Amino acid sequence: MEYVFHIIIMVCIYIILVLSANLTIGVANLLTMCQAAFYGIGAYIGTLFLMQFNYSFVLIAIVVMFFTGAFSLLISYASARLKDDYFIIATMGFQLIVYTILYNWTDVTRGPYGIPGIPGIKLLRIIEISGIYGYLCLSLVMMAIVVLLFRHLINSPFGRALNAVRADEMTAQALGRNTIRLKSMAFFISAAFTGLAGTIYASYVSYIDPTSFTLDESIFIISALFIGGIGNTKGPVLGAVFVVLLPELLRFVGLPDSIAANLRQIIYGLALILVMFYRPQGILGKTILK
Amino acid sequence: MILRLKDIHISFTNAHNETFDLLRGVNLDVEKGKITALIGGNGTGKTTLFNIISGFEKNYKGKIEFEGHEVNFKRMPAYKISMEGIGRLFQDGQLMSGLTLMENMKLASNDTTGEIPFVSLLFPNRYKQAELKKEAQAREILTRIFGENNKYLSLLNQDASAFSYGEQRLLSLARMLMGGDRLLLLDEPTSGVHPQYINTIAQIIREMKEREGLTVLLIEHNMHFVREVADTCAYLDEGVIAEVGPTNVVLGNQKVRNSYLGL
Repeated sequence: MEYVFHIIIMVCIYIILVLSANLTIGVANLLTMCQAAFYGIGAYIGTLFLMQFNYSFVLIAIVVMFFTGAFSLLISYASARLKDDYFIIATMGFQLIVYTILYNWTDVTRGPYGIPGIPGIKLLRIIEISGIYGYLCLSLVMMAIVVLLFRHLINSPFGRALNAVRADEMTAQALGRNTIRLKSMAFFISAAFTGLAGTIYASYVSYIDPTSFTLDESIFIISALFIGGIGNTKGPVLGAVFVVLLPELLRFVGLPDSIAANLRQIIYGLALILVMFYRPQGILGKTILK
Repeated sequence: MILRLKDIHISFTNAHNETFDLLRGVNLDVEKGKITALIGGNGTGKTTLFNIISGFEKNYKGKIEFEGHEVNFKRMPAYKISMEGIGRLFQDGQLMSGLTLMENMKLASNDTTGEIPFVSLLFPNRYKQAELKKEAQAREILTRIFGENNKYLSLLNQDASAFSYGEQRLLSLARMLMGGDRLLLLDEPTSGVHPQYINTIAQIIREMKEREGLTVLLIEHNMHFVREVADTCAYLDEGVIAEVGPTNVVLGNQKVRNSYLGL
């Protein structure tokens, strides 16, 4: 049963990650390749606070979200000055810089050795969440809150204005919308919730190292988004469930691990190609990336 | 006078490092509450002039007065110029796809209540009231322009991409009535539109002037349309306003007829 619970926890974490990516990529049409960088920043900041201070989860979550969101201002700055492919390349650059810092700033991150023994999350400084049941409850509750918040955001006037940026940025400006501010807010929220997922992940697995936050991970999150669908909340949820469950399903086919790992990559790739050909908005998506 | 352009110059440099002066001292007064047509050949700088007025082109020289005050348009981002009361319909401007007709209408409203993330969660009543007000305004505008029980009222939740190009042009014009604009810049409103819609476009533009008291500055190549709607006409040629005056006078001017209309 613990195995099933572990899968559910990972699905919940990935739903938060993919929903966060959807706000900038799917709603605002800003393809970023640095979601894993924010995931890593959130994981390391959360770890620092969990290990150094006896703060409650709520306080740590607020701090992590604020600081991870603050890092997104760098991407906002790039988005105001760079367009299309140049912006995508700049976000890849950010991803590589963050990874390199996490890998080489050994005094703080312990670099490739990683940080073991990350303590459990404390709810209100009293009840420590430990064990798989605690994390199952926490991740389910957090996932539900995040799904509801993102659904609200997408359907709110803020989501409408972000959709206008996606559809036609110049017209949005001509209609009096400060598109730079709208994009910055979207980046901040996306990075903040990605950072939150990083803290939950770090605390749950109790060990982190930079290899969990590479460009490959960013591509993995984006793949989940494109397969599930962009522009709404249903698509990202489906995408996250698909990418987390697929390798587990392959286990039951009885293939050797070495073949299953390669087959998984082939299936992800094939799924992406098929979706791009036959349903470019993703399986349950609403909009198409321009 | 709602808009006064004083000695507007703009130059562009091409790939061979050659500088080309597109606007060479444009002076134009746009009278409040009137429809002014800006005519001229292709590539004479009409759309560039619109880009300057609406804040999308900053690299110009000259002065702009709006409602009697000199405004530094170079320092104002386009969205702020819109908030000042200058609306713009782009040459290829249509409704925004991925948004419904109602969402398109609401976006044109000056009321941005709820556009700060999560604020609508904190103040749900204020947000709901603002939304209801915008919905009522959108219905009222569509009813006024297209009549009682028109088909657009039943298609408010339809995605914008479901409408034809001509319908999108009409609805984009109708959308401009949602904001608090006082000067509207319309770049070729009849471009690419089926003739059946052109009369409706003329009606909407007249409505903008007569019922809303708005000032309209429009670029147009359809001279029948210009003659029908415009009170004043300005002819842009070789980087300057070569002729300006009542529409019939300018369109009857021999120089305009020879150099632009080819008559």
